[in-house]
Formats: sequence, structure tokens, C-alpha cells
Amino acid sequence: MIVAKLIDTTLCIGCKACEVACQEWNDQEYTLGTFNGSYQTMPDLAHNFWNLIRFNEVERNGAQSWVMSKYQCMHCAEAGCIAACPAPGAITQMANGTVDFVHENCIGCGYCITGCPFDVPRLSPATKKVYKCSLCSDRTAVGLEPACIKTCPTNCLTFGERDELLRSAEIRTRELKADGHAQAGIYNPAGVGGTNVIYVLNDATQPEQYGLPKDPEIPWTVRLWKGPLKALGAMVFMGSILGAFFHYVIFGPQDPEKHGHPEEEPTHEA
Amino acid sequence: MKLDEIRIPRFDAYERVMHWMAALSFVYAALTGLALWTPVLYWLASLSGGGFVIRGTHPWSGVLFSVVIGWMYRRWAKTMYLDADDRVWLTRLDKYATHQHGALPPSGRFNAGQKMLFWSQVATGLLLLVSGVVLWFPEEMPRGLRLAAIAAHPLAAIGSIGGILVHIYMGTAAVPHSMRAILRGWVSPEWARFHHPKWYKVWRDSANLR
Amino acid sequence: MTNGWTDVANADVVLVMGGNPAENHPVGFRFVMEAKRQRKAKIVCVDPRFTRTAAVSDCYVPIRSGTDIAFLGGLIHYAVTNNKYQRKYVIEHTNASFLIAEGFGFADGHFSGWEKDHYDKSSWQYELDGNGYAKTDATLEHPRCVFQLMKAHYARYTPEKVAEVCGCTPEEFLKAAEMITVAAAENKSGTVLYALGWTHHSFAVQLIHAAAMVQLLMGNIGMPGGGVNAQRGHANIQGSTDMGAWNMLPGYLKIPRASQTTLAEYLKVNTPKALQAKSLNYWGNTPKFMTSLLKAYYGKKAQRENDYGYGWLPKIEDKGDHSWGAFFDDMHQGKLEGLISFGMNPVANGPNTHKMLTALSKLKWMIVAENFETETAAFWNAKTLAAKDYPEALSAEQIQTEVFLLPAANFAEKDGAFVNSSRWLQWKEIATDPPGEAMRDQEIIARLFLEIRRLYEKDGGKGREPLLNMSWDYALPHKPLLSEVAKEVNGVDLTTLKQVNGFGELKDDGTTACGNWVYSGCWTEAGNQMSRRGQEDPTGLGLYPKWSWSWPANRRILYNRASADENGQPWDKTRAPLIWDGERWRGDTPDYKADAAPGTLPAFIMLPEGVARLFAPDLVEGPFPEHYEPAESPVSNPLHPDVSANPLLKTYSSEGAKFGQAKDFPYVAITYRLTEHFHYWTKHTSSSSELQSNFFVEVPAELAAEKGIANGDRVRVSSARGQLEGPALVTKRLRTLKVKGQKTYHVGLPIHWGYVGKVTGPLINNLTPSAYDPNSGTPEYKGFLVNLEKIS
Repeated sequence: MIVAKLIDTTLCIGCKACEVACQEWNDQEYTLGTFNGSYQTMPDLAHNFWNLIRFNEVERNGAQSWVMSKYQCMHCAEAGCIAACPAPGAITQMANGTVDFVHENCIGCGYCITGCPFDVPRLSPATKKVYKCSLCSDRTAVGLEPACIKTCPTNCLTFGERDELLRSAEIRTRELKADGHAQAGIYNPAGVGGTNVIYVLNDATQPEQYGLPKDPEIPWTVRLWKGPLKALGAMVFMGSILGAFFHYVIFGPQDPEKHGHPEEEPTHEA
Repeated sequence: MKLDEIRIPRFDAYERVMHWMAALSFVYAALTGLALWTPVLYWLASLSGGGFVIRGTHPWSGVLFSVVIGWMYRRWAKTMYLDADDRVWLTRLDKYATHQHGALPPSGRFNAGQKMLFWSQVATGLLLLVSGVVLWFPEEMPRGLRLAAIAAHPLAAIGSIGGILVHIYMGTAAVPHSMRAILRGWVSPEWARFHHPKWYKVWRDSANLR
Repeated sequence: MTNGWTDVANADVVLVMGGNPAENHPVGFRFVMEAKRQRKAKIVCVDPRFTRTAAVSDCYVPIRSGTDIAFLGGLIHYAVTNNKYQRKYVIEHTNASFLIAEGFGFADGHFSGWEKDHYDKSSWQYELDGNGYAKTDATLEHPRCVFQLMKAHYARYTPEKVAEVCGCTPEEFLKAAEMITVAAAENKSGTVLYALGWTHHSFAVQLIHAAAMVQLLMGNIGMPGGGVNAQRGHANIQGSTDMGAWNMLPGYLKIPRASQTTLAEYLKVNTPKALQAKSLNYWGNTPKFMTSLLKAYYGKKAQRENDYGYGWLPKIEDKGDHSWGAFFDDMHQGKLEGLISFGMNPVANGPNTHKMLTALSKLKWMIVAENFETETAAFWNAKTLAAKDYPEALSAEQIQTEVFLLPAANFAEKDGAFVNSSRWLQWKEIATDPPGEAMRDQEIIARLFLEIRRLYEKDGGKGREPLLNMSWDYALPHKPLLSEVAKEVNGVDLTTLKQVNGFGELKDDGTTACGNWVYSGCWTEAGNQMSRRGQEDPTGLGLYPKWSWSWPANRRILYNRASADENGQPWDKTRAPLIWDGERWRGDTPDYKADAAPGTLPAFIMLPEGVARLFAPDLVEGPFPEHYEPAESPVSNPLHPDVSANPLLKTYSSEGAKFGQAKDFPYVAITYRLTEHFHYWTKHTSSSSELQSNFFVEVPAELAAEKGIANGDRVRVSSARGQLEGPALVTKRLRTLKVKGQKTYHVGLPIHWGYVGKVTGPLINNLTPSAYDPNSGTPEYKGFLVNLEKIS
């Protein structure tokens, strides 16, 4: 069974309860003293801050609007971090779809940061390893919902079986459309095979307003280095080694006695 | 003194140290790089303390390699420009490979193949350095650069390692006594005359032997 | 709240005004979102700031801080002139039909009876018949009936006038008015959610009165999904109000005045008489409540012969004022010797911090019982800790006040009940014991009491009878259990020594004792009702009658009898909290006699009229709410420029007239709370401090552009009282308003910081004025004038 988190942004009030729950459950170190000219707790996710509500002041149909949306690991079906990770066993995709970091295997190269189309993983300067939302795999493993879900006061966040959540997201979208939000829709991008964190947006045509990339996908350069470049490399390396070997077998070493002498004078003027 | 007792100095100590520093840092960077490149070779990491350690050491070995490449560049760049003979030499690479040395224009201190290796290592070294620094600090670098680097770094490494594999073959099995040249620094006149006739002539003329 | 949080989910329209529940009551706000999802309710948010509540609203109208009465008056005008009010409800359940005596009127900013500094209210009274009952006209046509007077009073509040005063556009007002008045239909109801955005004005009570009038016109009082709902800020501030903090006795009994020397005199003045023949006039039971309270205070010492100890109760001078602002002013004048401060941080909370600091420095001693060293406990060090903010503060050497900081247990280290906004008394258990030498409040109080009493017993002294006669029958006198106190509050039948079941059993003959009549029923012979956690919902309306216990009498919706017409027919059959089954009312605890057939009594049993008051002569500055400007305003009142501010605005002169003019301080300042913090407390904890570490000043984008202020630049905000500095948060969410034709800007000041804590920042009360609402004594923390400069 694939599990997922549904974020109904139309019910989010930016109360940040999920941020606190995440910090407390994961026993994070607190960062004090940042002001970035916004209501947002910090400008971006951090190695010790995995769940951030983004506040965007935007104009919609000429009216002031303030979009709040939760930002965390999307637990992609085809995860860019896994595609990019060079350390075997450092990032795993659990049977329930959760993408989890196994820190004892993490080497801290940060390739996952580059591979992630949502820019989620963060390096800790102290441990030199990478951290992100684990979908509270330590809670879900024993049948509890993730901490953020548990604490959300407006039911903006729900947790459950992915297919079921997708159905309720569709119902919600129909409700919103009937309520005059013609652009309402679901954010579940196909470019990464769908995400296990699904959003309901009032305006799905402009996911950027929520800080979500429009068409996220695993970067082609990541696919290139993990795919064709590997084949190319294998060919080049094996070709060089085998070529040298057979060259030696066929021609043997260069030998001044047998192979004739070239001229000592330049034969070609510059 | 008999001709076969004469030792022609080919690489002074300075150059030998330079070469071997480059070689050692390259081998380390290459092996750790290969470990990070594919899970198939991840076992290589355990030769140097495991993945977490080599994530720290690999960039530094790369920096060391780059510094030495820069040093080599200062030392050798001038002698590495291709002359007219070299350009013809390159068109007759098949003759070189099949030991028809009589058909080759004469080489100077370095033949055109060595020169091409030099330039390819300078080029891939530079690319490895730039892309490596980008990958080193994923949180500081713009994502676009990182995405380019993530492909450029292994691409450059493939070119670089491929070249060095050929270089190792040439320097060991294919050209006898060349290892002595880079380890101890001297070659025989016979060796010099065969492999680097123009360079040999310069030596002979200055030594006023004939 | 008349209704309660869970009931908000029953609303069809939610008017959020003078509050920001998405930020300050996010947990309660789930019921707003439920109404929005399940009932397709429309949320209308009226606020100077585009808040997180506005962000999820269907309609947002920006108004200038302190112009809410103009907006609500406009709604009344709109409803009455467009016939968008529930006429049958208004006739049956309000005093719209009551006739007012000849001579009542309003002109040039004053109601009739104005006499320089107070009102002679004789023209504000009902016209009575021979029996002393009010005359009525059910057709609402009589020119002196409340309805016609109200209509005439608000005729001035046209949409254009509202826009001129409030600064929104007439179209915005009309859009909101249309949405809100949907609730005028019998089968629709709308709720009003408010908080400190209404109470922090110098006309706060009138403002809430205006909201009540709107709700009565819509037929929303007593209805599920209706009511006037105050969202209380602290976990137990409702409890402290109910228990008579400041200048009330428990259960909203009036504090005795000096001239009321006997219990009989007190009761005569404070027991109302019915104003309608059939009116139940429940406050007629005041003698039972008061006598039982005295029995709880003085136990066996309270006897009929000694007026049940009434003489030992402290009394206030007849014209005396012991409200919060008044006693700090007395302190400022050096009239107080000491202060005991529990869970209260007046330096941070009080308006005009300079005045607070000076006032405390005039005390001989001060006891502060707290979890942390607060600004108040450290007031003597303000000059060192925040020199820039308090250049004129006294230095530590100059202050003679002896400060005792007693470490007190926090909420999780105590049991007892929190009374929430919904009036639910929710009992909680002790989670952990207090650390170190910290004690629970009741132990600190008990030890102080016992020691002071011992000293009085030993050394004698004037006025010691109240102490010596106080009943203190706890198992461990120095450490009373809160369960013992709760049982005492519930009340006991002294003849059987059994817990009473409710205030209906209280007597005025000294045979019952009860610490707070409105809480009677919370701990009966059946046990502690407050710790119940039953989740049954038999009405399906989210009343949850077995979840904790709700005062009064476990009633979940106040005035619920008004949810049905005179004949007991519910206005909306799908949402009836009460059903008359022929013998009894079923559903919620009826706000009525449980077995009184419909029609035998009028619906509002707590009022002598038996009906709700559109016209409320007991308020000091007028029976109808009128728009007055805040004490400091950028414009003179567009309705009556010569009487601009509240004519009965309460100020104190001991610190001099510290009010600014628009020419020096051109911007309207508003103070508010952020969701990230709780008051001045959470700056002591890391998790909340991380969410918002820094104080900031919200600056409208247009004003910022005028002044060359970029986001994050440091700015100085100054008022006639003081100044402070902080980084600017430039935002379009503070819209430029057009008031009386001129551009008006708001400057936003979140509270929460101070000079002690994990994160620190200026106290915004440096800037706020000592201007108070004359009815409630609440300071005007919102809508005062400031200047704003960029610090280069």
C-alpha cells in the first residue's frame, strides 16, 4: 500500500503548527534570530528544519491574496534524489512509497540536492550528512500518522492511502470549482511519476505561486550521468585496457632494433 | 665512453616529482571518483575508509591534481605546442601504432601523442576542477551550474582516465625503458634517437659527440 | 462566546471582525473551515490588515482601525432600509417594540441628557405603564419605539458615509453587507467572531453592542451557528472574568459600594425588577447567589444576624474606580504600597510602558509569582536592559521597590480547570511536578494568607476581620487541593452537606454555600463534571453535552430559547437546539424554564425586559452605539467633527496629557498578536521563538515607497509616549485607505517582545496611550497615532 500526504492549501491558515510538531518530534536544534522581511519562519528549508510554510503575497484577479503552502519532501514515486545518489543504501524507497534517508550510509556528497527537482535535501554543516522530511517513518512504522498531520488544526493535512487521498482530492477540486475557483486542481506532477505528497490548489495553473515547480522532473543531466555516461565510461575504460592488451599481444613493445629509425631532421617545415 | 654507457638526462628530479605527484593524486582521485560514480565500484571506497571519508578526500585529491597540472602547464606548455612534424605525425598515428616508425616524421622532446595527452589532461583537468568545485559545495552553487557539473564531471573524467590508461600502457609495456626515464630521469642515446630524434639531435649537437 | 467553538461549524456566514482567529485561534478556526467546507459558509473578514484570516476569506474589507461602529452601524442601516432583517424575531425577541420616554434624541455627537462630563439618563428610559412594565408597539410603527429610533439614529450611516469614515469603498461595504445579511433568512444563521480588535478601543463595549444589534436584527442570537462570540486569548481568561477578577465578585455579582452598608441595601440596588409582566427576570435571584457566596467566604461565621459577613467584604467608594487603569494610575500617584502579581506582566501588558515603570518604582514592595523573570519582575533593571527604549527610566540605584520573585508552577504542573472561550470548564490533570522550589499558585496564596493571618492574630491591626473570619477548611491548609476549591465553588447544601446540582438549588437563608453561582453544577454528587470527555452528540449540532461542563448549567448555546418563535416553532427545523415535546424542552439545556410551555415566558430570561436589548440604556455613553474616533485620530469625526472622540473617554491625568496630533504623528498604529507567539511568554521558549525571532514593523508598500524604506531597513516608530526601533516588513497587505478624502496609512506593530527572554525586542506599549473604554476600563491599544522614520 502506498501512503501519501494530502495538503489542501485552500484550508491552510499558515499557523505553523506543523512546523513546531516537526521540530519537536524530530528533536531538532532550534535556530533563533533570523529575520528575512517576511512572516516565513526562515527563507528556506534547513538541515534542522524540514517543514516550512511558505508565505507568498500575490495578486489574483486584481485582488490581494496571500498564499500559504507547506514545503517539504514530496516523496516522489520516481525520486530525483535516489537517481542522483551514489552511495548504495543511503536513500531508500520503502514499500509504502516513503523516500527515506539512511544516515549511516549517507556520504554527504549532496548529489541528492542537485537531483531533487523540489530542492529539498539539506546538508548539515556539523554532521556533513543530508537531511529531509522522513514522512515520520518512525511514526508510520508503528501505525501513527506523521507529526505534522497529527497537529494540523484545520484538517488541511491528511494522511492515508494514496489512491484514496487522490479520490478525496478530486472531490475537493470539484467542490472548489463549484465554488467559483475554476482553476482549482491537484498537484501530483507526472514528471516524477507522481508524488506521495499531493496538493489541492485553488489555482493549479500557477503552482509557482505556491512555490511549486510547474513541471518538475528528474534533471536530464542526472539521467545522463547515471545512464548513457556509465555505458560510455565502461566502453572507454574497457576499450583502453583491452586495446592496450591486444596491442601488446599483436605488436609487442616498440623496439629500435626492429622498427627502423625516423629522421633526425625536421621533415616538415612549420 | 661507449655510446651505450652514455646516459642522456631526460627528466630532472623536479619534473619526476611533479609527474609522480600528478600520477598519485590522479590515481587516488580516479579510484575514489569511480567509487562515487557507480555502485558497481563502490567497494573501491572501502580501500580508503569508506564513502563518507572519500567524499571528503576526493575533492582534495582533485585539487592537488589540478595544482600539479597547473605546475606542469607552467613547466611544459611551451614545449607542448604542436609543430608541423607533429601535425603530420598525428595523421600517421596508425603507422605509430603498428610500429612503422620509419614512416613517421621525427619527434622532439615529446611526440605528438604525448603532447595531445598533455593538452587533453589540461583541458579535462580544468573541466574536472571547475565542475568538481561546483559539486563540492552543492548548497552554495546555483542549481543550473550543478546540473551541468553533474554531467560534465564524469564526462571529463572518462576522457581523462581513458587518456591516462593509454599513457600507462605506453609508459610501461609499450615503450620499454620509458619507466626508467620517469623514475630515474635518464635514457640511452639509442632510446632517445629512436623515440625523439629531434630532441636527440639537439642533445648530440650540444654534446658535440660526433 | 454565546455559542462556542464547535458551533461555529453550523454557520452560513462567518463575520470575522476585530479578531484574527486563523492566527490567534488556529485550533478553533478549524470550525470556521468546517463551516466553509460542509455548509459552504461565506467568510467575511473586516480588518485594517490583510491577515491570515483574510487570506482564506470570501470577502475582505479593509477598514481604518477604530471605525468598526461606523461599519456595523452601516450594516444596521443597510438591513433596516433594505428589509434584510428577521422581522418576526425582532418583534418577538428584542426590545424593538418598546417605547422610549419623551425627550430621547441624538444631536451633534451627543445623546439627550448630556451634562458636560456625564449623561443624565432620564430620557433613555422605557415608557412604563401603571404596573411598572414597559409599553410596547408590536407594529414597530410608533415614532418612539426602539425600532423607529434605531432606524432614525443610523439613517446617517449610508454606504458612502461608512466608506468616508472607514476608508474602504462603498462597493466593498455593500458586497460585505449583502453577504452578511443573508443570515436574515429564518433558516440561515451567521456568527460573529471577535477578539481584542474590538475590545482594545475606547468605545469597545458599544462596539460589541453594535455587533449584538446586527445579530439580533439577523435573528442570529440563540441560533446554532449564530451568536456574538468573543475569542478569549489566554487559556483561562474566561475563568478569571467569571471568577470576578478586577472589579466584580464571582459570577458577575456587582462589587459592593461604600454607601451599601448592609446586605439589604446592596441587594436592593443590585436586584433588577421585571419590566414585562411575564418576564422571568432571573437576576431577581441575586439574593440567593450573594448569600451563598458570603457563606462560602465566611462559613459558620456568616450568620443572618451579622448579614452573613457582608460587612467584612471590601467596598469601593460610590464613584470609585478600581479597574486596571485606575489602580495603576493610583500607583503612579504613589497611593499604593504593594502589589502582588500572579501570571500578569503589567510592564509589558499595560499601555504606556514609561508610566508602568514609574508606577512600580513608587511601590514599597512587589511580589511576582512567575515561571520566568518577566519584564515586571525585572522592571528595576529596564534602564540597563533596554537603555535605548527607556532613556528616562530610573536606574536601579534610584528604585527603592523591594521585589520578590516567587517561582511558580506553570500550567502543565497544575491541575484544575481552564475555562475556554466556549465557557467550557475543562478539568486537566497534573502532567509533571514543578521544578526546584517552584510552588503551585494555590500554595503560594495559602502560605501568604496563613502567615498574614497569623501576624494579625499575634500583633492585632485595623480591618483584620475579613482575614480572621475567612473560612479555610482545607485538608492541608497551606496546600489546598484544587478539587476542594472546585467543590466549594460548585456549592454545598449546608443542611445535608451534599454538593448542590446547580444554582437552582441555591437559597438566600444561609443554608447553601456557593463560591460562584454560574459555575454551580460543575462538581455535583455525581462527581467532577469538568473532567467528562463524552463525545456523544445527540442533537447532531456539535453541542457535545457530555464533554466537560459548560457554564451556566451545562448550557452550550446561550439564549437558545430564541432559536424558536413565540410558539416554540424553531426558525430552522434542521438546526433546532431546543424542541418542545409537550412537557419539556429537549436538546440543549434550555435557557428557559425547562418545563415552561412556549409562550408562557419571554425568551431572554436573564433580562428584566425578557427580550434582548437593541436599545441598552445601561451603557454609559449612549443606548445606541455611535461612531466616535479613537483618542488619537488622523481626522476629526466625519459624523460630528466637534464631538470627535468618545465624550466619556476615560483618561488619567497623573502622567500629564500625553496625546499626539496628526500633524506630528500622521499614521494610524495597530498592535496585534502573531500566531507564532503567545503574549509575552513564548519568547522564553525556543520552539516559538524560532518561528518568529524578531520584532518587526509592518509598513504599507506605498508608504515605504514614499519614505524610501526597503524591506528589512531599520525604522523608528514614535508616539507622544515614546519610541522604538525595528526592521521594517514592507507589505501590500496594509492597504492605503481614503478617509475623509485623505490618504491614511496603518503601521503594524506585533507585540510579543520585551527586554527579557530567549529573543528580545522593544515593548510596543512604549507607544500606546493611557486611554480607556469607560464601560470596561480596557485600554485603547489599537488605533493610536505614530510617526515613522527610516534610520539611515
